[in-house]
Amino acid sequence: MKNFAGVSALVSACIALPAAAISQTEVIVWVAGEPGQTTVYDDIAAAYNAQSADVTVTVVKNSSDLFNPALIPALSAGEGPDLFSFGTGPGQPAALIAGGLVADLTGAYYQHNWADTIPEGIVVQTSSDGKLWAFGNEVETTGMFYNKAIFAEHGLSVPTTWPEMEAAVDTLMKAGYDTPIGLGAADKWPVSHWQSMMFGRYAGPEGIEAVLFGDGAWTDAPFVAAATKLQEMGKAGWFGPTPVAIGYGELMDRFWAGEVPMTFTGPWVIGGGMEAAGDRIGDYSVFAVPPFEEGQQIHPTNSIGSGWYIRESSAVKEAAVDFMNFMFVSNQGRVALLNAGTIPVGPLDAALQTAEMPALAVDIWKTSDDHAANGTVPAFLDTITPGSLTTVSYDGLQALLIDYMTPQEFTAEMQSAWAASKAAGEIMLPGGIAEQ
Amino acid sequence: MFPDPDSKLAQRLNPVLFLLPALTIYIVFAIYPTFSVVEYSFTDWDGISPDRNYVGLANYERLFSDKIFWAAFRNTFVWSGVIIVINVGLGLVIAAMLARVWKARLLIQTCIVLPVVISPMAVATIWRWMYQPTGAINQALEGIGLSALSTPWLGSPDTVLYALALAHSWSTIGLSVIIFLAGLQAVDEDLYEAAHVDGANVFQSFRYVTLPALRPVTAVVFILTLTQSFKVFDIVWATTQGGPIRFSEILSTYMYKRGALENQYGYGSAIGVALLVIVSIATILYMQIQQKEDR
Repeated sequence: MKNFAGVSALVSACIALPAAAISQTEVIVWVAGEPGQTTVYDDIAAAYNAQSADVTVTVVKNSSDLFNPALIPALSAGEGPDLFSFGTGPGQPAALIAGGLVADLTGAYYQHNWADTIPEGIVVQTSSDGKLWAFGNEVETTGMFYNKAIFAEHGLSVPTTWPEMEAAVDTLMKAGYDTPIGLGAADKWPVSHWQSMMFGRYAGPEGIEAVLFGDGAWTDAPFVAAATKLQEMGKAGWFGPTPVAIGYGELMDRFWAGEVPMTFTGPWVIGGGMEAAGDRIGDYSVFAVPPFEEGQQIHPTNSIGSGWYIRESSAVKEAAVDFMNFMFVSNQGRVALLNAGTIPVGPLDAALQTAEMPALAVDIWKTSDDHAANGTVPAFLDTITPGSLTTVSYDGLQALLIDYMTPQEFTAEMQSAWAASKAAGEIMLPGGIAEQ
Repeated sequence: MFPDPDSKLAQRLNPVLFLLPALTIYIVFAIYPTFSVVEYSFTDWDGISPDRNYVGLANYERLFSDKIFWAAFRNTFVWSGVIIVINVGLGLVIAAMLARVWKARLLIQTCIVLPVVISPMAVATIWRWMYQPTGAINQALEGIGLSALSTPWLGSPDTVLYALALAHSWSTIGLSVIIFLAGLQAVDEDLYEAAHVDGANVFQSFRYVTLPALRPVTAVVFILTLTQSFKVFDIVWATTQGGPIRFSEILSTYMYKRGALENQYGYGSAIGVALLVIVSIATILYMQIQQKEDR
């Protein structure tokens, strides 16, 4: 009898332990990043886990190259992350939504008053058929990062006109900098930052929207002119003698080492830059690329980049929504994002009172704000257009840079891929959510 | 319950039972996916939607008019040709030389074989760094006064495919050398002595003794190299992603782009099936030629 009681107690304990473990809800979150690397989302998850009694958030990183190829089969199999960041806009999420793989967040939008945080313009880009599919969480921009010390050494000031820009590049080349503006085009995607910015400058916000959501075409004159200008810059050696031979990682190493005076990129490099440059980080700042043509306006690049989606088959949707609220709505999460140089959507006054943004992040956002009244354009066309167009754009941009393709051929290939995607129904038409 | 171990039934069942676990794994993880890919190639599946519409031969018709597919096809043949020449040709020469070297043989052998065990991603990272415009190769060329030969190896359409093939061969030739060395150990030393007595020099011994004796081994190395080179993906993807433009696009990277990145699983599967057919035809042709020569 005594033995029986002992065995019973042991069995009960064995059953109770896993039961206690099971009662802890786990939310698996996938973000882009290298395994082992610490991102701001790890820090936010740690803070959330510390204050949450029954939910544990686990952040899993997949490198950018492998993110989508790993995500889509996982979602299709009814597995994978409960919460994940993915492209937004008319191209990329359409297939996920059509396949019923992501959850409708409209209910959460109203329940948690997300309207107070997410601007209407972003809701438009993350919704279709009257439903909200993603939390467009952060604003991204791009700008010309430059080495102030190199500029000062050669008597250069920030160029505000195209002739001044040409003169600055000329001076730097004569001073021995073979790559006045680093590009990292071996990785293809960095060139699309130039493409997005230049397409926006030449076509304006209306011109971009006309193509994305209307009857405009990538073969319209402003896009051809932008591609022509990019090719001219490449031919003139602005991006170095071999722009497509150097990858983004190598380029940024050279930039922070003071070997490359300028590079056009975004706030996501700031964290790595602070580590790489150390005390010299004060040597760096950001400026807006001057207008390419006389009379042209500066349209800052402004994108939500990616949005956060919840897997439709997730058993922990409520917990995932709760974590999103913590990340993007609570002051604690917003301050953490700002401290990492990431700008969350919505009013920033409360968070900015306690946040300590890196100086470079302040610089780039000031640059963006200075011209925001002119209207903004997408920073990353490659993340909001279908994969087939992205492939064509990436290859075509390399071809432009090494003069294997004319601007007309490049834009024609883009338009052809875009038209094919449209015909295949791969383009969704965002447009706000239904009133409740 | 169980048949007598000495019975005919048991003797027939035993091999089947021993094979069953491996066979099950092979069917589930190799045969079934292969047939699935063939099935997908007749659909317009995007890899996401639960719906798969059968489109007949549409994906295969598209292959014939797809200029990028044919460019990738041509690149794959050039790629394989370079790797076969290096891994089979040079591999055989290195093995024959190693077989005659006794001093430091183990050290040399280790140096040649070591890259085989390095992860393909690490190989890609090493060579990507070496091929940088300011990387080790251009620096070495400049160091020996050959700066005129410096070039952006991975950034030039003229050199990228050959540069990557060389890097791939560096990481795989060790396996060929090991197989050839094993084959050489089986060659009767008397044959070399007889050739020597007949006045054959080193090259004649190689031509008339080594090469014929290694014919079956060469066939194995050839087929292994051929299949490996056709299905290679990692080193190209991790260094150039098929670029610049599409000058290092091979069938496997193109299949990945269309299938996984552009969500055209149906079309990507058709490219995969085409790759399978090409490798099978090449292998069968080579084996038939070998058999014909042996007869």
